Amino acid sequence: MIVDIKERLGKTKYDVDKSYAHITVDERICEKCPHHFCVMACPAQCYTLQDGKLNFQYEDCVECGTCSVACDQGSVKWTFPKAGKGVIYKYG
Amino acid sequence: MLKIAVMIKQVPDSQDISIDPVTKTLNRSMARNVVNPPDVNATEAAVQLKDKYGGEITAITMGPPMADTALLQLMGMGVDNGILVTDRVFAGADTWPTAFTLASVADYLGGFDVIFCGEETTDSSTGHVGPGIAEFLGCEQATYVHKVEYEDGFFVVTRDIEGAEETIKIGKPAVITITLNANEPRNPTLKRKIAAYKKGVRVVTNKELQLDPACIGLKGSPTIVKDMKTVPDPVKNPSKLGVEDMEKLVSVLIEKGVVK
Amino acid sequence: MPDYDAIVVGAGNAGSAAAITMASKGLSVLLVDRSDPPGAKNLSGGVLWGNDLARILPKWQSEAPLERYIQNKKIGFLTDDSSIIIDFKTKIFEENKVGYTVLRSKFDPWLAKKAKEAGAMVIPGITVESLAKKDGKIVGVVESGDTITASVVILAEGINPRLAIEAGLREPLQDWEVSVGVKEIIKMSPQKIEDRFNLTSTSGMASEYIMGNLKELNVGAFFYTNKDSISLGIVSPMEQLRANGVTHTYDIIEQFKEHPSIAPLIEGGTVAEYGAHMIPEGGLEMIPKLYGDGYMIVGDAAGFGFSNGLVLQGMNYAFLSGILAGETAVEAKGRNDFSENFLALYKQKLEGSYVLKDLKTFKDIRKVTNNKNMYTVYPKMLESILLEMLWERGQPKKKVRDILSSCAADLNLSKLKTATDFYYIYRRM
Ligand SMILES: Cc1cc2nc3c(=O)[nH]c(=O)nc-3n(C[C@H](O)[C@H](O)[C@@H](O)COP(=O)(O)OP(=O)(O)OC[C@H]3O[C@@H](n4cnc5c(N)ncnc54)[C@H](O)[C@@H]3O)c2cc1C
Ligand SMILES: Cc1cc2nc3c(=O)[nH]c(=O)nc-3n(C[C@H](O)[C@H](O)[C@H](O)COP(=O)(O)OP(=O)(O)OC[C@H]3O[C@@H](n4cnc5c(N)ncnc54)[C@H](O)[C@@H]3O)c2cc1C
Ligand code: SF4
Ligand code: SF4
Repeated sequence: MIVDIKERLGKTKYDVDKSYAHITVDERICEKCPHHFCVMACPAQCYTLQDGKLNFQYEDCVECGTCSVACDQGSVKWTFPKAGKGVIYKYG
Repeated sequence: MLKIAVMIKQVPDSQDISIDPVTKTLNRSMARNVVNPPDVNATEAAVQLKDKYGGEITAITMGPPMADTALLQLMGMGVDNGILVTDRVFAGADTWPTAFTLASVADYLGGFDVIFCGEETTDSSTGHVGPGIAEFLGCEQATYVHKVEYEDGFFVVTRDIEGAEETIKIGKPAVITITLNANEPRNPTLKRKIAAYKKGVRVVTNKELQLDPACIGLKGSPTIVKDMKTVPDPVKNPSKLGVEDMEKLVSVLIEKGVVK
Repeated sequence: MPDYDAIVVGAGNAGSAAAITMASKGLSVLLVDRSDPPGAKNLSGGVLWGNDLARILPKWQSEAPLERYIQNKKIGFLTDDSSIIIDFKTKIFEENKVGYTVLRSKFDPWLAKKAKEAGAMVIPGITVESLAKKDGKIVGVVESGDTITASVVILAEGINPRLAIEAGLREPLQDWEVSVGVKEIIKMSPQKIEDRFNLTSTSGMASEYIMGNLKELNVGAFFYTNKDSISLGIVSPMEQLRANGVTHTYDIIEQFKEHPSIAPLIEGGTVAEYGAHMIPEGGLEMIPKLYGDGYMIVGDAAGFGFSNGLVLQGMNYAFLSGILAGETAVEAKGRNDFSENFLALYKQKLEGSYVLKDLKTFKDIRKVTNNKNMYTVYPKMLESILLEMLWERGQPKKKVRDILSSCAADLNLSKLKTATDFYYIYRRM
């Protein structure tokens, strides 16, 4: 029963805050990053590499906090979403 | 100082409603209750009006007792008073008694300069209730509005009309229905939410309103729902979507001016 | 006069337990959670051991939204082809019924409601932005530019304690302090669950696995039954993930689901939810200063968790630490003294409880969970022993001692290394 990560994330409910990205990355730091470990660590595939360049999108984030630890280069600016926006587990 | 009302309805989050694969009926059991989304835009419109021109906002909902959380959330955004209209006799209302009851409440509370509604709800989506309230109160109305100004005792509103928009001027009192995404609703703040939870909402029953039982709830509803059917998903037939057909489709769409 | 006696940040297990403890003793309490309803952003594997909860909510077993009581507990080792499972079923579990599977999105709102009933003001859907400080003391919380004040702030923020870090009450988290937990909910009819796992309509099963089938990565996995779903997932230490560097966390859980001994258990089910959360892994060493002028730190935010691959606990520590902080605040209110000096009582209470005792007892557990052999070599060794012992293939049988030494040789292990490993594991677990 292998299920693609995008499909699995599709089962999870979100109320995305379109006006506030609760996590941001500094592209200039990522460019020089020796490991791009965030790509492996993020369970929601928010970090991807495209032609060697880091791409980040916050919409699928499940707010686990992993990338705030995984990035040891000081690129990730991490906050919680506001006003209950973001992931809403139905089971948890 | 403007007297402003917002009519709001608590609805099951449409994201949470699934179709039971076995019984084929709507499964709302897992659904979280939320404020009908355009009603949040209506509230934002009301708060913006208050910020600019001064005033007091009252949010009103007719619904079950648990709908108080919806009012409290909006009070966290800047609504001053929450009114929960709840009574067994209001249950089962279709759009006619809903509009009648809400209009009566507005009147009972001393009337308002402007009543904001959402364009329609996500759970029944008739869009009747706003215009219904206006008719019962005999006041002016503007539907599908995304911009509201107040000038010299008139509301200058911009409405969505298919493919265009129009700006019109209407007098007081007025009912204005606000479209989904008309604005970016502000977040509730902790301080306002605390004040709201401390203040609580005012509960209004029919003991207080004394509306004619024949005009409210199920009894007052002219609609008779005889049967409900779940429409099956259209059968997808991928073989019909050949590349040739695709090209034809695109050219027809261009011809008709649907795409450029 | 501050606005409240106590403000609790976070309505998870720890925060709600603290709020209930304080509000039921008459303190004015504000409990703020960033999700609406409270708990909708929380995730656990889901076995709740309720001894501590019973201290504040004696009727929890009949009132709380629980899934199934744990009737049997399994621990297993997975290799590429095999699984070795110990199935522990005891009348003691059945008679006591203190372990239950729970789903946090149902359980947490119930617990927050109990806090409200006890008299706390519960505000959902608000993210506290920072702590208010005055003369080196914590005096309240800040949100949208407004400050709400309290005699004491209880930080129950969970494993990603932004406020405590920002206020300098603890260091930012390091790799060795956390694991990444990834979880899925698999929907399945109660009938199928009960038939498949040999359960009644109320009983349930909890299994934990050591995934010996992943090369170069120490991962534990869990598999629990709910009423009409399965909770399953993996727990991988951040240190391991970084050292490995080539495996996506979202793929590891699929490797678990695909394992020949797991796949048949979820066959016919559908994925209903996917989620992830960090888990405290650092033990005693990661615990920050637990109190100071005007604040206490409880639950995951304080690092109170325990996982050794086979046991995964945190909710019970969260309850107990929340209760003890709550009791401390009640006494502080009696003396009208919320200074660091007085709040030291919280630490004393913790030291007298199993929270800090457990963490002290197992302070070296990371050496076991980080021991590569534990996850890759020893499951393989067990498999070889069992194959030698149980598989009739028309060859003369060997004694266990001989099997062991030939295994160790096959797997390139010195006997001494094996012996010291076993000695360490034995000492630390
Ligand atoms: C399956 C189903 C079928 C139905 N069929 C019919 C039918 O055929 N005919 C019929 O008349 N009714 C029907 N109803 C009932 C009816 O749609 C609603 O319950 C009615 O009371 C409100 O109409 P609406 O939700 O469409 O509101 P809309 O008219 O779409 O709502 C517009 C705005 O009015 C305000 N508003 C609406 N309801 C409330 C409220 N309770 N309190 C405060 N403000 C409110 C809000 O601002 C809202 O955005 C049906 C209901 C269901 C569930
Ligand atoms: C995959 C996995 C499996 C697990 N399995 C088990 C198990 O089987 N048994 C067990 O006992 N434990 C288990 N745990 C551990 C357990 O989940 C935690 O130890 C426990 O939830 C800790 O409780 P807490 O109250 O400290 O934190 P949490 O439950 O995380 O609560 C913290 C709360 O604070 C809120 N919050 C945070 N910051 C703010 C802010 N700034 N403003 C407002 N609110 C905020 C959060 O939204 C949240 O509601 C598991 C954990 C994981 C990840
Ligand atoms: S680990 Fe940090 S610096 Fe490196 S790519 Fe990821 S976000 Fe950028
Ligand atoms: S918090 Fe977790 S899910 Fe969100 S981007 Fe970071 S690692 Fe990914």
